[in-house]
Amino acid sequence: MEVGSEMRVGGWRLGIDIGGTFTDVIAISSDGTAPRSAKVPSRPQEPVRAIVDAISAVGLSWDEVAEIVHGTTIVTNDIVEHRFRPCALIATAGFSDTIEIARGARRHLYRMDLLPRPHPLVPAELRFEVEERLTAQGDVATALTDAEIARVVGEVAASGVDTVAVCLLHSFRNPVHEMRLGAALRAELPHVSLSHEVSPEFREFERMNTTVLNAMMMSKIKHHLSLIDQRKPGHSRLHLMHSASGMASPALIAERPLMLAMSGPAAGVAASSQAAQRLGIDHAITFDMGGTTTDVCLIVNGRAEIAANRELGEQRIRMPMVAVDSIGAGGGSIARLISGALVVGPESAGAEPGPACYGKGGDLPTVSDADLILGYLNPSRTLGGSVVLDRAAAEGAVKPLAESMGVSVRRAAAGIAKVVHSNMARALRRATVEHGRDIRDFGIVAFGGAGPMHVAEVARLCGISRVTIPAFSSGFSALGCVEATMSYSRQTSIGMKSTAWDACVLGKAVAAETDALSAAMIDAGHEKQSLNVSITAGVRYSGQSYETPILHPALDDRERLNRQFEQAHEALYGYSTGEPWELASLRVEVLAPRKDAHEAPVIENDEAEATMELGSRQVTFESGTTFDVLVRHRRRLPIGVAIEGPLVVEDEWSTVVVPPGDRVTADNNGNLMMEVAL
Amino acid sequence: MSIEPVSLEVIRNALTAIAEEMSMVVMRAARSPLLREAGDHSSALTDSEGFLVAQGADVPVHLGVLSFTVREFLKRVPADRMEPGDVWIVNLPEIGGNHLPDVKLIRPIFREGELYAFAVSLAHWADVGGAMPGSYFAAARDAWQEGLRLPPTRLVAADRFDAEKLDLILANVRGPEERKGDILAQVAATTVAGRRLDELAAKHGVAWMKEAMQAIHARAERQMAEAIRAIPNGVYRGEDWMDDDGHGGAPVPIRVTVTIEDETATFDFSESADSVPGPINTTRFIAGAAVFYVMRALYGPDIQPSGGCYRPINVVTRPGSIVDAAYDRPVVGGNHETCQRLADAIFRAFEPIAASELSGGGPTTAGLLIFGTRTATGWSTFYEVHPGGEGARFDRDGMASTRVHLANVMNTPAEVIENEYPITVEFQRLRRGSGGAGRHKGGEGIARGYRMRGDETALTTMFERAVVPPYGIDGGEPGATFRATLHRADGDEVKLRGKQNIQIARGDLVVIESSGGGGHGHSSGDAR
Repeated sequence: MEVGSEMRVGGWRLGIDIGGTFTDVIAISSDGTAPRSAKVPSRPQEPVRAIVDAISAVGLSWDEVAEIVHGTTIVTNDIVEHRFRPCALIATAGFSDTIEIARGARRHLYRMDLLPRPHPLVPAELRFEVEERLTAQGDVATALTDAEIARVVGEVAASGVDTVAVCLLHSFRNPVHEMRLGAALRAELPHVSLSHEVSPEFREFERMNTTVLNAMMMSKIKHHLSLIDQRKPGHSRLHLMHSASGMASPALIAERPLMLAMSGPAAGVAASSQAAQRLGIDHAITFDMGGTTTDVCLIVNGRAEIAANRELGEQRIRMPMVAVDSIGAGGGSIARLISGALVVGPESAGAEPGPACYGKGGDLPTVSDADLILGYLNPSRTLGGSVVLDRAAAEGAVKPLAESMGVSVRRAAAGIAKVVHSNMARALRRATVEHGRDIRDFGIVAFGGAGPMHVAEVARLCGISRVTIPAFSSGFSALGCVEATMSYSRQTSIGMKSTAWDACVLGKAVAAETDALSAAMIDAGHEKQSLNVSITAGVRYSGQSYETPILHPALDDRERLNRQFEQAHEALYGYSTGEPWELASLRVEVLAPRKDAHEAPVIENDEAEATMELGSRQVTFESGTTFDVLVRHRRRLPIGVAIEGPLVVEDEWSTVVVPPGDRVTADNNGNLMMEVAL
Repeated sequence: MSIEPVSLEVIRNALTAIAEEMSMVVMRAARSPLLREAGDHSSALTDSEGFLVAQGADVPVHLGVLSFTVREFLKRVPADRMEPGDVWIVNLPEIGGNHLPDVKLIRPIFREGELYAFAVSLAHWADVGGAMPGSYFAAARDAWQEGLRLPPTRLVAADRFDAEKLDLILANVRGPEERKGDILAQVAATTVAGRRLDELAAKHGVAWMKEAMQAIHARAERQMAEAIRAIPNGVYRGEDWMDDDGHGGAPVPIRVTVTIEDETATFDFSESADSVPGPINTTRFIAGAAVFYVMRALYGPDIQPSGGCYRPINVVTRPGSIVDAAYDRPVVGGNHETCQRLADAIFRAFEPIAASELSGGGPTTAGLLIFGTRTATGWSTFYEVHPGGEGARFDRDGMASTRVHLANVMNTPAEVIENEYPITVEFQRLRRGSGGAGRHKGGEGIARGYRMRGDETALTTMFERAVVPPYGIDGGEPGATFRATLHRADGDEVKLRGKQNIQIARGDLVVIESSGGGGHGHSSGDAR
């Protein structure tokens, strides 16, 4: 098909990340032309238009584009904003209400007024049941008859929906019934999603809900892809950034649109892990601070941590996704004095009215207002050209708080910053602990509008001295797209006990998963031999619920796997027991290495003007001390020279705050390395 | 107070992070299904006198109890008997506890010879010995039938396990490997807490830490006082009923008299029934947990749980009553059955002044079934709670299949049950029509059928709301009652009682139908 097209010379490769407000684009060329980047407004109603705008913003026409890798929040937003297409559900007889019974728990312990959890995705009248039953081992207990298939397909077709999800008990052990039902449904309906394909793991509610969500997104994504297809020239290829931080073909995404649920954050994480690898940082925490939330994710040994499930907009989604934790604290977080403690967030001023300093009517003190008062934000700068910052409004908002604390406005602002730093340090700590890691082994990679402004103090609280603000830190997700490799991964339940070991069965399971995942890549022109397969085993002692992940498990050698597991368990929990264990799951990732692997895009620093300063301003640091601080342009820093704080480094999109005692060094790839004094 | 608002929030964050880390260590490393799927455990830090300063995973009933555990523990074990590197174990209900399966591991934290904090890990063990697998003996008449009773015991000294004491414990519980895993996880959690506290103390100094902890108490006290001030002064009475005395008979009353006076509140449970023969007695610590839960749910969801928040509150119980039973009385079900009824009684007391804040009666019972099946390798014990219909509110219907108030343990998926136990789940569906009518309807309960595949199974039931239904509010109808039925393989049908031990056999089907929620408002009233 498209074999060899990656070798094309002269073609541009574009990473385009369509976010909620802005669309970022980065273009790189294989002929040595300097990379280009731009930001254009997103158009939620016309996502394809944003792509067209992005291409022209970097001075190109679509004909010059060899490949686009595109991250999108289409699926994310539909889930968060509860835009769900009507969908029928077919379940094993006796189990269709599982979608409503869920796991029985409620979300808010002390809030009786709130719904315990979201309403079920499928209403009772669209739930259908079929007579069939498998045992937990996957043997057929009650056969699914052709007559039964014909009956239920007829009923679903008559219900008037064009979308259906199928989730039969134990189908991840043996998909035979789902496959037969799926074939009959696909002959009648355009959008069919089968649970063993979407989420081949045990726990029927989670699998069912995930499969339904996937089905609900199919129609819209297919439409979006067809619109792009109409606009793009035939030679130009398209890929999408999926939630596990790799890229996927449009053909696969059309069937598994839910893979896009975390597309945006995954792109940022992909860029971070590439930056960390290049800079030789083994373990890093990504720190992406935006307006309402801050996203953090661990990178361990150069790889982003992947979670088997994640919650998004109150929906639990079980698919491999970058293990991003969202903290409810960002530039818009509101500070309040509650019973004698200064509390920041989780309430946010959001985009409307936004922080008081945006001058759009907000009058509550936010983190951004504090940033402006403290001199972190440049008062004369416009954010993306659209907002002029209003210092008087920021001070007016913080003043009542300062008065009730009995301190100056500046002091109160420093307090807001200090509290938000401690919130974030707690979240970073939680992210590392959750993955059984020691936070002091990590560096931080900071990006997003506000990340580089606050990262130094957060790092100090965490006992981390090594901070990186990578090149393109404000359009970072687009960079992640442009550098993405094609990779597919899926987790599958195994449930093999160490006492009943059968390496042969495991070998077959790995081969089957690998074939299933490779098929789409081979279709996209990759050769089978060129694909890298990496396996992560989830192993646990019987009775444990959390699996210890083992990368590259010795599946053919139980004794060696035993040692791998015991070592990993010891490292995570400080003990191992020597008892029998269970290989609970396998996650197989198939990765197609880029044929056009390239160096990092280089940003030229203008050394001749390296001394150029943007002036100075009064900046107050967490200690409460105020300095007259030099402000330097990010692209005019001397290369390889450590500069001691206090210092502010700026470019059009972001501000890096270097507190006194910390040091920052620019490299010739546009990265800033900060050394935080502990 | 010399701790200013910023430092107060910063230290609160730091201490909470430590407690959260403890909970994650337990959840990840523990072995009991209860800890893994369900998260039936909690972590806390206290000051040197045992007053709570931070908590991790949020199980309301545990939190209430942990507010008392270390203080009662200190009455038995004076601080001068403790050494750095100690970890003590205790599960006696009378020592700031609730029931034997909730086992607490307590580590005193020292710096330069000064004891300045405690780290506590509480976990529900799936078995703690006693008459029945799962340690729920429905027919119990005294405390010793309920399992191994552990007074405060130094299990770890100088960070080394006392091997004989550990063996003694493991010899008296079913599933010793699994229990050992739980103990290791709980000790590991306290070890982590010790290390983290030490880092904080090294940075701030012990004196400042102690001062900060007092500031946390003072803040919580102020929050609670503010919450109480929002309630009109007055005397409010509420009551609700337990189905029976645990072994049968007539319903048993739980009564509370709430007196609100400016910034103090008294919750007096003295008029509740005398203690009962069956295992639904409970401790005054559980009463404290129920009071704290209701105050937080109705008047201050943001109140920080801390020793200070109990200062404006008096919880009065009558020794010898069902709420403050003598130590020899069985209590295992009181932890989640009587406990929830205490909350129901308090909610009902507030009905005249807070009808629009209240939910109709919900499944205030664990709806517990325990299947203990003998297998070739020992007992296979499956412990399952069942959600029911949430009560309706003034502005919306109740939701189906929910846990309410002091409980929030999740159900176990059918695919997990069938894979790990000799049981087939025949169906799980909504129990349609079980929600109480009203202007807004109560949520639906569920129905689930368990078919036995093992030869010999001991079934234990422990549920309430089988006789006294979940109440409606403001004229709403009550929800349908809980029901469990045994369909013998030979065709016999047996209605199961709420607290029962019964032997069942291969091919038998147990069907549980959980309660519907109470309605809100007269159904004949104005339409929605």
